[in-house]
Amino acid sequence: MNEPIRIENLTKDFNGFRALDNLNLVVKRKSFMGFLGPNGAGKTTAIKILTNLLAATSGSAELNGINITREPKAALANVGAVVETPEFYPYLTPTETLAYMGELSGMSHVDIKRRTKEVLDTVKMNEWADKRIGKFSKGMKQRIAIAQAILHEPPIIILDEPTSGLDPRGMFEVREILVDLKKQDYTVFMSSHLLNEVQEICDDVALINQGKLLKHGPVDELIATTNSRRLEVRVKQKVTAELLGTISRLDGVSETAPAGESIFVMSLSGGDDAQASLLRSLMNLDLSVISFKESGVALENLYMSLIKESR
Amino acid sequence: MTEMISQNGMRMGTTPPSDINQVGVVVKYEVLKYLRSKRLMGLIIIEALVLLLLTILPPLLGNDYATNADAFINGYTSYVTILIVIGATLFAGDAIVSEFQGRTGYLLFPKPVKRSALLAGKFIASAGAMFLVLITYYLVALLLGLAITGGFSTLGVESLLLAMLYSLAALAVGYLISSVMKGATGALILTFALFLFILTILTGVLTLGGVEPWFLVNYAGGVVGYITQVPYPSSGTGDPGVGPGFSMATFIPDVGISIAVMLAYLVVSLVLAYFFFKRREMSA
Repeated sequence: MNEPIRIENLTKDFNGFRALDNLNLVVKRKSFMGFLGPNGAGKTTAIKILTNLLAATSGSAELNGINITREPKAALANVGAVVETPEFYPYLTPTETLAYMGELSGMSHVDIKRRTKEVLDTVKMNEWADKRIGKFSKGMKQRIAIAQAILHEPPIIILDEPTSGLDPRGMFEVREILVDLKKQDYTVFMSSHLLNEVQEICDDVALINQGKLLKHGPVDELIATTNSRRLEVRVKQKVTAELLGTISRLDGVSETAPAGESIFVMSLSGGDDAQASLLRSLMNLDLSVISFKESGVALENLYMSLIKESR
Repeated sequence: MTEMISQNGMRMGTTPPSDINQVGVVVKYEVLKYLRSKRLMGLIIIEALVLLLLTILPPLLGNDYATNADAFINGYTSYVTILIVIGATLFAGDAIVSEFQGRTGYLLFPKPVKRSALLAGKFIASAGAMFLVLITYYLVALLLGLAITGGFSTLGVESLLLAMLYSLAALAVGYLISSVMKGATGALILTFALFLFILTILTGVLTLGGVEPWFLVNYAGGVVGYITQVPYPSSGTGDPGVGPGFSMATFIPDVGISIAVMLAYLVVSLVLAYFFFKRREMSA
């Protein structure tokens, strides 16, 4: 059976710079895959090739088993995409824009009318349905972009940093939309560098750097493979260099650093047992621990270690 | 919406319409663009001003109108090429490049539509807008001729047909420029300057050198005005008025050759525009 998205040995060169280097990746049906990597890792390049915005130097990308380079029209028939932050025709309203995109995708006028109301409701833009897009904010445009991507209910949705450039409220709202999409029958492939976003929403994750795939698989499994966690500790005492030196000599502890007058962070190798043991050790040092918690997201630790290794 | 399931059990979205249907969709929204962006309205206002000036100035300056319908329409056809140049700039100059520079390509290109359908739709919409302007212009001029001279100029209709062909060639050149330029402003300026200055200067220099510039599209476009002259003028040698012993060649484009040249510009420019548009990437 054809996977919704299959990338094989995909390579893209830009004037001697290799943005993608033999990338191989498969996105399973009905999965929500996060595509992670630092800036310049090749995420957007891969997504642009998948959406026919760039041509691959070599290798292939298939959507529902159809080669995007050879048959772009057929391949893109079942795809909804938001790439970078698209601009809209300023002289059209959201309703007209969705009608244009819907007509190009082959939707009937009845379906366009019905779905326009539904998707504008989903992205909370019904109030603006008949206002020209010209003066919309970036956040409003991003919501319209998501609306046009899901308008024709495509089985595959490709999103390139959908919350990029949005304010915290906008990011929250877009994340809510994504969570809602997850409940439906979609295969979603989403690039992001917001690790908490990916950990919160995605089932699977693929990490790339310098155009190469570093690791991919279910988020939980990948997190389980990482044997390191970042901890933040708040104590009653003042954090001194001497204290940090003592703590860094404890089992599994590394990279201790102050994060405030009475707060410090550190890395710990090991799982839950090691973390519980560390807390006991800190108490044994006569520290008055006010809080002891994991700092950042588990995926961040994996991401950072993989990126560091790949350099 | 009817949900479709593929043979391998995958839910499928919609089936895109045929390329021809998609061309129609693109035409519809491009025309809407012309209407809402006021470009079409702007050109029609310029056209109205040209018609008004050509009609009211002769009596105001104490000149009589021509008594022959063909001679009357000739006074109007001389300015059509300027309208065509402005139209080609407004409708074609930024038609392609704006999708890249304005980032609307991020919305349009991931849709299941071929770039050939996008180009065809845009071109047909531009041609439609241009034809509307030209037909309105000639209709008014012919009706004025009918009212003032009492005759109808069939040469005026021939001029209209030639003007339509010249406008297609000029639009195609505009699309070619738009498909290779990086910025919309540069594309608009280059399209305008190419027809108004660069080709005109080239035509003048070649003529001075005694070479007939039959292969230049603006020279070929001259038939739009000449066709209404009776008899059709012919090339020859004239006195430039700079002193005895000097003579200068005057060239008049041949209608048949000019039609072929305009067709060649139309086809070659459109094919090249498609070639560059298809290969162009949204890399920025």
